[in-house]
Amino acid sequence: MSELSADKVSVAFAGLKALSGVDLTVASGQIVGLIGPNGAGKTTLVNVLTGFQAATEGSVRLDGQGLSGLRPHEVRRRGIARTFQGGRLFRDLPVIDNLEVTGVGLGQSRKAAIAEAEAMLDWVGIAPLANRIAGTLPYTDERRVAIGRALMGRPAFLLLDEPAAGMSAQEAAELSALIRRIAEELGCGVLLIEHNVGLVLGLCDHIVVLDSGAVIETGPPAAIRDSERVRHAYMGTAAETDLPVLEVEA
Amino acid sequence: MSRSPLRRSLATPVLLGLILVAFALVAWAVGSKPFNQTIIDIFLKVIFAVGLWVFIGNSGVISFGHIAFACLGGYVAAWTTIKPMMKGISMPGLPDWLMQTEIPYWAAAAVGAGWAAVWALIFGAVLMRLSGIAASIATFAMLAMVNSIYSNWDSVTAATSSVVGIPIVRSVWPYLIAAILAVVLGWAYGISRHGLALRAARDEPTAAAASGVNIPRMRLIAFVVSGAIMGMGGALYAHSIGIVTPDTFYLGLTFITLSMLVVGGMGSLSGAVLGVLFLSSLIQGLRWLEAGVQVGTSTFALPGGVQEIALGAVMILILMFRPAGIMGNRELTLPRAGSDTPGRSGPTN
Ligand SMILES: Nc1ncnc2c1ncn2[C@@H]1O[C@H](COP(=O)(O)OP(=O)(O)OP(=O)(O)O)[C@@H](O)[C@H]1O
Ligand SMILES: [Mg+2]
Repeated sequence: MSELSADKVSVAFAGLKALSGVDLTVASGQIVGLIGPNGAGKTTLVNVLTGFQAATEGSVRLDGQGLSGLRPHEVRRRGIARTFQGGRLFRDLPVIDNLEVTGVGLGQSRKAAIAEAEAMLDWVGIAPLANRIAGTLPYTDERRVAIGRALMGRPAFLLLDEPAAGMSAQEAAELSALIRRIAEELGCGVLLIEHNVGLVLGLCDHIVVLDSGAVIETGPPAAIRDSERVRHAYMGTAAETDLPVLEVEA
Repeated sequence: MSRSPLRRSLATPVLLGLILVAFALVAWAVGSKPFNQTIIDIFLKVIFAVGLWVFIGNSGVISFGHIAFACLGGYVAAWTTIKPMMKGISMPGLPDWLMQTEIPYWAAAAVGAGWAAVWALIFGAVLMRLSGIAASIATFAMLAMVNSIYSNWDSVTAATSSVVGIPIVRSVWPYLIAAILAVVLGWAYGISRHGLALRAARDEPTAAAASGVNIPRMRLIAFVVSGAIMGMGGALYAHSIGIVTPDTFYLGLTFITLSMLVVGGMGSLSGAVLGVLFLSSLIQGLRWLEAGVQVGTSTFALPGGVQEIALGAVMILILMFRPAGIMGNRELTLPRAGSDTPGRSGPTN
């Protein structure tokens, strides 16, 4: 059992307060949702958790141990993996090599990395894509490759930044099933950032709502669904007024 | 598993090696001294271009400084192979043990490679934290520093005067072997996990770091490997002409070797090698034309200076139409049966 937490994390960009005093905890096997309107600070929090962004105040802890000062690759080697908004695959490399990079990045030989990559593609359900050049893949396949790449070396935590963006309801449902397997079968603690609130409500054990860099609500899905404050925060952004209507079956 | 990319990529060094062997056989068959020297020079340029490719091609960081490592290697050849008596005159400040050292050229090439690698490690430890244009400028500063030290430290380098008496090796075979060795080293680096990780970092640094890749360290490894190859090339260069000055290894050589890499295509090992073969052949052809060709009873000759102009024009034209170089990012491989994968990403594909 492992625990990843942000402890009163604040980040300021030249006057702009992107995060102020944010607390958040993810435990092994748990799926925690992180929602909030555009610019709320969700990606910034993931960047802080993975060493891409230093916190101005506060700290990040893995099982009580501080992670501040670690560089991104060092954070990854401690078992905290992430994906990016927009994929960031190694576009010129075949899919299998995309996964292999993580293997060798974590210190495996190429042979061992290839073997794990093949098994992982199978597990994620994209084995037929192994030799496709990553840059030629459609959107939804890209996301799965990114998730497979992040899962190499069996990280204890996986932070997903808007994995369902642009997906149809059907594709989102498949992704949802995959995320559930990641938590249940791999025992991975998942932090899920998503604008598809229906997906988050249907999938997460616990949800944190950010607005303008601050946590405005936290609790189980039912509580978030009924929160006036959350509804209000989302009113500001026209695109997101469809709060909790879209329901995704478990 | 049907997939064995490592074994399949073996075709690349084999094919490149065979092309180099063909060049050596032509030199041997022709048997003319100047032509022999031309082929030797091509093999040396292959070594340099491959050395450059190991770092530049895989990291994406342009280095203007690698000829500094050739300089380090060249002077190792001078220090370790010239007769002690001659060294005493031209470089009286050498320590006694080095003054007495007299080793064969191939050993000097190996020591030159090691010496250059040590300095690549030292310089690289600082430089590899930089990225983009800052890193490129810093490599140029390194070249200027090395040149300046070797131009002024007269008791061990004879300053800007020529150091003569380096045993000249006139046979093409040692240079062929060294060029093939460089190609094999470059290939082995390219398919290694370090090469793969560095190319990933070149294309998508953020994602590579998030995949556990320690980017400065991967760059440093490439820098040291490439430094060693350049050091070997520098020592052999010294043995090909028998004489070194600091300016032998400076802007001229930097420009021509980088041009060869860029024209061939810095995205692939094959590009590095073929760029050398292509531009060297072009230069040689133009030289012959400048010297004059007998057509019937009259001699046809290009006016002097046309060589440089034509070379520049050809380079510009190639880069206009093929900005990624002649080879793009492709490697020379055997045609593949029953595969639909367009291999486009470095030597493993
Ligand atoms: N490197 C940076 N420099 C300056 N400001 C930044 C930087 N990164 C983010 N910001 C700002 O911080 C705020 C939070 O951005 P962030 O990307 O974390 O939001 P988000 O919740 O992920 O939004 P989205 O849903 O659009 O992805 C925004 O106002 C953004 O403009
Ligand atoms: Mg974001």
